[in-house]
Amino acid sequence: MAKGKSKFKNSGAYIAAAILVAVMYIVNAILVDRIYWNNSNVSQTTSRVMNSLNKINGQLSEINNDTIAIAANLKTDMEAITKDTEARYGNIIDAEHAFEATEGLSDEAMRRYNYAKNIINSYKQKLDAMGTSAVTSGNYQEMGYILKQDIYPMQVTASEMLTSTIDIVSADTGKIMRKNTIQSYLLMTMMLVVAILGEIAVWLFARKAKKARLELEEREKSLAEVDAKLKTTRQKASDLAVINVLTGMKNRYALDNDINDRLESGRFQIAVFDMDNFRSINDTYGYDFGDEYLAAVAEKLKEEFSEVAEIYNITGNEFCFVFNKNISESQAMGIAQNIQRVMSSPYEVLNLAVQLPCSGAVYHYLPGDCLNVNSLLVKLDTAMRNAKMNGGNMISTVMNI
Amino acid sequence: MNKRKSIFRAIASCTLSAMMLISAGCGKSQNAGGPGGQGGQGGPPPKIAVITKQQLSFWDDVKKGAEDAGKELGAQILYTVATSDNDYVSQVAAIKEAIAADAKAIVIAPNSPTELNSAFDEAVAKGIKIVNINSKVNDYGKIDSFIRSSDIDSGAVAARNVAKILENKGADYEKLGKIAIIGHTASTAEERIEGFISVLTSYAAQKIKKPTVTETDPDKLREAEEAAEAEYNSKLEKFSKSFIQGDRVAERKKAEEESLRLLGEDGNGISIMFATNTNTTLGVCDAVSKLKLDDKIIVIGFNSDEEELSFIRKGTLDGTVVQNPYMMGYVGVRYAKRLIGGTSVTCDLDIGATFVNGSNMNDEYIQLLLYPDKF
Repeated sequence: MAKGKSKFKNSGAYIAAAILVAVMYIVNAILVDRIYWNNSNVSQTTSRVMNSLNKINGQLSEINNDTIAIAANLKTDMEAITKDTEARYGNIIDAEHAFEATEGLSDEAMRRYNYAKNIINSYKQKLDAMGTSAVTSGNYQEMGYILKQDIYPMQVTASEMLTSTIDIVSADTGKIMRKNTIQSYLLMTMMLVVAILGEIAVWLFARKAKKARLELEEREKSLAEVDAKLKTTRQKASDLAVINVLTGMKNRYALDNDINDRLESGRFQIAVFDMDNFRSINDTYGYDFGDEYLAAVAEKLKEEFSEVAEIYNITGNEFCFVFNKNISESQAMGIAQNIQRVMSSPYEVLNLAVQLPCSGAVYHYLPGDCLNVNSLLVKLDTAMRNAKMNGGNMISTVMNI
Repeated sequence: MNKRKSIFRAIASCTLSAMMLISAGCGKSQNAGGPGGQGGQGGPPPKIAVITKQQLSFWDDVKKGAEDAGKELGAQILYTVATSDNDYVSQVAAIKEAIAADAKAIVIAPNSPTELNSAFDEAVAKGIKIVNINSKVNDYGKIDSFIRSSDIDSGAVAARNVAKILENKGADYEKLGKIAIIGHTASTAEERIEGFISVLTSYAAQKIKKPTVTETDPDKLREAEEAAEAEYNSKLEKFSKSFIQGDRVAERKKAEEESLRLLGEDGNGISIMFATNTNTTLGVCDAVSKLKLDDKIIVIGFNSDEEELSFIRKGTLDGTVVQNPYMMGYVGVRYAKRLIGGTSVTCDLDIGATFVNGSNMNDEYIQLLLYPDKF
């Protein structure tokens, strides 16, 4: 459960990071887009304004050229010139309208433009009011004076003020562009910082994750160790239930477990043995000595017969042998005799040689002979007791009925 | 776990590279949209020193124009005005101050045609641009631009308008009486006077009629024509001798005294008086007004001080030649700014001169000239 929760927590962090990255991208895209369109608009406005101002200046220049041409007697068709002038002045008015329709121009640009516009209006009025007497009378000196003294100052002032307006618009555009550049750099720096922080966060996150994984592995390892220990302990406990502590042989419960299932349909050779008058050893040398003696006997039996039979220490000094499946009835009898020989041979216990005779019973079990292990053992014990009652140190056989 | 980690790393590195791309994109669009010329400069506004001649309304208007240009085009104006129109010492000091203040250009109306040259050399050595306004410095080749109203032409404006007044009055050039000229001490006075005399003389040459030759005898005709020519020439000679000039003066009071000296008590036969700047104009008006000769003498002056305008309204002053000082200051600073930005400018700009009198002083254009703040 805890593992699942932490997994969920981790994926939550990833989702948050992904959302953060997406938001960063969107904000960045919006800001970049804004700067781009702002620049684009400024460029368009500037170009429209410049066109208008240049057009006004150009037309003014044309009108002035005509005036000079009249004064120099290069043009004399006053009607045509007046018509041209009116058309050019119409163009100036159009360009003025185009300029005035432009939004977002600075007060400085408007102020300078208004100055120029006023001069142009006066200039036109001056041209309209200009007496044609000097022109028609052909007084070129007077025409020169009119040009130089009345018209020229207005034309030069208007032209300078128009070009000044162009300069101001240029400077304004420069200012906006610079502001946008600063904004772009700020944006870039901001995004760079965010990206670097993101990288650091990823690194820290990865490091933390690695540490957590190592901790988890460590915990799993110690858990496995605990588990193994537990298994061993459980095995030991389980073994204790079916093993005789003194001799290390399986006990009666183990025998019950092992052969219970075979009683109904199994066919096998089984034998029991115990020392004749073992009690005299305990009485004479004490229980500790008796235990040592039994342990020595059991060790010898395991050494000699564990390959041919499963050996159980079912009570104090009583051993039960369940012979392997391949052992025949006659072989079992032979082995039983060997068992008797081994058990009754002398053993050195605590520097004393001890020797006791033993009796046993062999049973050639056939399927369904007994209902349970208990009745099987009763049969064997009965046969063995008969042998003991007959003087002991012999092997009897359980008779099949 | 590792896979996730690498995906996240990939996203992060993509973000980083996308940032770089976007950055490159921003820079590009910026350059593409940038304006040409001097609009694109960054940094603090450059300092431009504006140095004028003396404390008069004419120079106040120059200052106003310069300051407007500084504000509109982005320049810091360091303004200095000398104490009088021959005070070049404070102008030399102002140039040195401008150099010390790290000015990038100097716009100057020099009080001496030669005495400022060594200070200019110092400024030019520091890469400072020099825009000369109003009157020209002599023998100095490192001026970047010269902006003025031609003084000869300005004198001609005065003469032409005197001629108009005479024509309206139906005056006879032969019986015109004396034409008195009160000039100021600066170099501009000489050119104004030169323009005035030559143009008024040319009008006289048109207006003074040659005697009609009635002789029919072909033998005597040539003689009669020569006699007529000689008479005409002598009339022109007489006319040219009718110009009298007072001593050059700088102050209004001195101009008044000089005018009174010429006028005597009853005008001394003077019918026209021409003054070449504000102070001399005011001095002449003071004298004419004092002697109550306002109606008898045509007075033509220079510049457009408020007192001069009130003399026009009173009728003492018949008209004044106005040079658009606001424009001079404005264009001076504008050219300086362009020169700092490396853009070329006109090296000699004549901004013209306009005649202002009682009948046109309320015209829109004249009002713009007189009151540049009005628009």
